[in-house]
Amino acid sequence: MLADKNRRAAQRLLDKRILFFGGKGGVGKTTCSAAVALAASRSGRKVLLVSTDPAHSTSDIFERPFAREAREILPNLFGLEIDADFEAARYVADVKDQVAKMFSPAIVGAATRQIDLAASMPGVGDIALFDRLTRIIAARDSAYDLVVFDTAPTGHTVRLLQMPELLRTWIDALAVQRRQAVARDRDRRQAADGVPDDEPDAIVVALERRRDRLEQVRARLIDRADTSFVLVLVPERLPIEETARAAAALSDAGIAIGAVVVNRVLPDGLEGEFYASRRRQEAVYRTEIDTRFAALDRIVIAQLESDVYGVSRLERISAQIFG
Amino acid sequence: MRWSELRRNVSDAWRGMFYLRYEQDLQREAIELNDLFMLMVYMEIVGLPNPVTLYLLELYPHLLSEFHLWHRRMGVDRSPLANFRCC
Repeated sequence: MLADKNRRAAQRLLDKRILFFGGKGGVGKTTCSAAVALAASRSGRKVLLVSTDPAHSTSDIFERPFAREAREILPNLFGLEIDADFEAARYVADVKDQVAKMFSPAIVGAATRQIDLAASMPGVGDIALFDRLTRIIAARDSAYDLVVFDTAPTGHTVRLLQMPELLRTWIDALAVQRRQAVARDRDRRQAADGVPDDEPDAIVVALERRRDRLEQVRARLIDRADTSFVLVLVPERLPIEETARAAAALSDAGIAIGAVVVNRVLPDGLEGEFYASRRRQEAVYRTEIDTRFAALDRIVIAQLESDVYGVSRLERISAQIFG
Repeated sequence: MRWSELRRNVSDAWRGMFYLRYEQDLQREAIELNDLFMLMVYMEIVGLPNPVTLYLLELYPHLLSEFHLWHRRMGVDRSPLANFRCC
């Protein structure tokens, strides 16, 4: 019965192209995302598992190092760990390369100093991480059937997913302001020498291109057929509250929630007063989860007798999820 | 000089003054609009966090000459940050 429900919910996840796994720290996001990615790759899909959590436990769970570029970890399963500082440095280096190709050495020198200064500001790492993510998400001809993101704890991830909208608004405001300034300057020149000027402004062009790209990413994130967020929690007070907040924030952002994974549920058939007491408490929380997240698919995973690392234990989690 | 010629000259001068005023107004407006744009691009220079900094880096080389005029107009003779050395 339970296995059936799990299997149906899990199959629906496998129909997606992009899955985000999020939840409070320590509830088992990495385990669940790795188990789903593993099962998907075994079912013949080409899967990319991306870790954006700075803790990077993904490589620990597979007992294999993940690189900053996608690499095949197991047959059909590719892994990648995103490092925000590295991505920021790479982004800045790319911009400098472009600048060096397009401008004279005098401009390159001055622009490079400005770029270095701006790139040292706090918060740049976050956008660099976001930018790397968007390149994976927006890739039109993705080489993968399914991309699974193992994300940092909830708050950070939800902010990250709200970014396209926030950044688009900013970029748009900049473009509007610049367009007005350019239009007024053109009126002036036409009044002065009577020659209309239709040359597009390089700044406006660049801003509009950026805005369009952000819109594409946003469209991909809110595409309910392709993209889902999976919320992982354990049956305890604090994770339940955090999951409820995340669910609200995600639906505000228009992002579909694929399932709620109730992880580390006590297994059946144990004895003793300690177990019985734990079990009673858990029953209360599980009822609460069933009521509060009644509208969402729920996947229940029982605790193993040992912690989860290595492919063979991961397979046992996959087996629980996919029944 | 005939009357008609004089009248044309006066009207030309009048129109010229009008256009000069018009041109100056447009120029002032264009500069004010662009100053706000520059502030939005270079917010961190005045100590305000800017969420899109990374996406503006590619604009810097296009804006170098405008940047110089801008910080001068803002009443800062030298580039506002010591290590900026724009001028």
